[in-house]
Amino acid sequence: MNPRLRSFALAMLPPLATFILFVVLWDASVVYFEVEPFQVPRPMAVVRAAMERKEQIGSGLFLTGSAAAMGFATSLVVGVLVAFLFSQSRVIQRSLYPYAIFFQTVPIIAVAPLIINWFGHDTRSIVIVSAIVSLFPIITNTTTGLTELDRNAVELFELNGATRIQKLFKLQLPNSVPYLIAGARTSSGLSVIGAIIGEFFAGFGQEKYGLGFLIFQTSSQLKIDAMFACIVASTLLGLLIFGAVSLVGSAVLLRWRSN
Amino acid sequence: MNRLFALLCLAALLIGCDKKQAAAPRPSVPAEKVSLALNWFPEAEHGGYYAALVHGIYAEEGLDVTIIPGGPDVPVAPRVATGQVEFGVANADQVVFARAARANVVALMAPLQTSPRCIMVHDGTSYKSFADLNDMTLALGMQDAFAQFLKKNYPLRNVKIVPYPGSVATFLNDKSFGQQAYNISEPFLAAKGGAKPRVLMLSDAGWNPYTSVLLTADSLLGERRDMARRFVRASVRGWDKYMKEPTETNARINQLNGEMGVDILKFGVDEMQAMVYTPETRDKGTGAMTPERWTTLIRQMEALELVQPFLVKPEECFTSALLVP
Repeated sequence: MNPRLRSFALAMLPPLATFILFVVLWDASVVYFEVEPFQVPRPMAVVRAAMERKEQIGSGLFLTGSAAAMGFATSLVVGVLVAFLFSQSRVIQRSLYPYAIFFQTVPIIAVAPLIINWFGHDTRSIVIVSAIVSLFPIITNTTTGLTELDRNAVELFELNGATRIQKLFKLQLPNSVPYLIAGARTSSGLSVIGAIIGEFFAGFGQEKYGLGFLIFQTSSQLKIDAMFACIVASTLLGLLIFGAVSLVGSAVLLRWRSN
Repeated sequence: MNRLFALLCLAALLIGCDKKQAAAPRPSVPAEKVSLALNWFPEAEHGGYYAALVHGIYAEEGLDVTIIPGGPDVPVAPRVATGQVEFGVANADQVVFARAARANVVALMAPLQTSPRCIMVHDGTSYKSFADLNDMTLALGMQDAFAQFLKKNYPLRNVKIVPYPGSVATFLNDKSFGQQAYNISEPFLAAKGGAKPRVLMLSDAGWNPYTSVLLTADSLLGERRDMARRFVRASVRGWDKYMKEPTETNARINQLNGEMGVDILKFGVDEMQAMVYTPETRDKGTGAMTPERWTTLIRQMEALELVQPFLVKPEECFTSALLVP
């Protein structure tokens, strides 16, 4: 076997085994404890519901996925810019950092209706909610990367009379890459949660429904098997975005390390 | 060890003896504790149940009732079906959804014979009927059956549908904005906010599920039928009382839900008179239900593809047996 394929298979084995064990336990528990299907459906019922609604769930995945990806991209750009600002001066950082924590602590459920009031009932608001939820890890991680530098390296730069710009491009930015990637990983999952919360309040209009709405609808109509299918789809979406970010992150890290 | 156990039992007994039990009219038989879960925050559409509590009607039937307020999309039927609460309040379409999901609940009485569900628009606009609802923004909970009914039966051309905001704030500022409402509350708030609202009743368009229906589990009906009968009897009396003398009850609802001022609650009671008392109820009594109405609702929901055809049987959704005096 190709060694790369082999290592991939080996890496996939434990989570796959866990998944199978989980599904078997889930099914057995539902049967053994005689749980009603409107409380917890059996795994096969969820699969059937997903197949019955595959078009609806597919288009929901696409809509929510696009909003989450845009929210994530926004938080990446804004987060890096804010972190850059913070790294420029201690005074700025000290004055503004407490307000950056706002994005972490704001009860988004309470603020989302306000955002929709300001920006309207459309994708824009959903993207903004998603960006707010996913912003903080990028700011805090990147700021750490830009400011917590190896003292020897800093002294070396200073001894050689490096300019601020040189220090930024040759020392701070390279140092911040692994931090930024770690922050981006955390944010990627959060962006999906943000998009779903945004959908609860904004919606996509008359014909198009994101996963957030589908979860809401199936829950309110007591179609719990379909609701589970939508929740699984949202989780997969989070994993997908997380996977994509991790993949890009690893590639960047590889280049970064070789440099 | 045994002594400790006995002491603990004694303590539990003492804690269990609350004031309500002590005040019950039949002290020799302790009142039976039961819970009623609402589908929304306490409002006028729950008034009769609160009246039965406030005026001691449940207590007279030997029942110590706790009413549990609800909120947006609280799962009333599943909690009733699994016995977490003995009774619940929901609209008839939720009973059909529940039975389709094998959450076996059954309706015992229907205080509101006419559904208060409406679309509220501004008076003086071109939106005079459902067919006129075009070129506007409409706040609708698309997860609700009535919204699917509207969407299927009317063109709604160039209508932007947004989620129900839970208040009339946006409505007040936008003439081309309409929203879902109960005619017994939102129009009052809109008028108070300076708007001139007009309501288009879903019941006029043919969508008229019984509202604020009292429900219980099939199993409870088998095991505690006498208690259920007393609960229904007290609830019916509660509704009659509320329709005649709502003041005390409204004060209690206002205490529990500050959003609902006593003025709006009084408006609600006035509006509900014709919805609680219909030719049907004059004939059969407050809260009566007919198989025809349930059949119509189920067929409508089947046509909207909300439930599978012939999965839910009308005769399983309700029983009038406990309504007979």
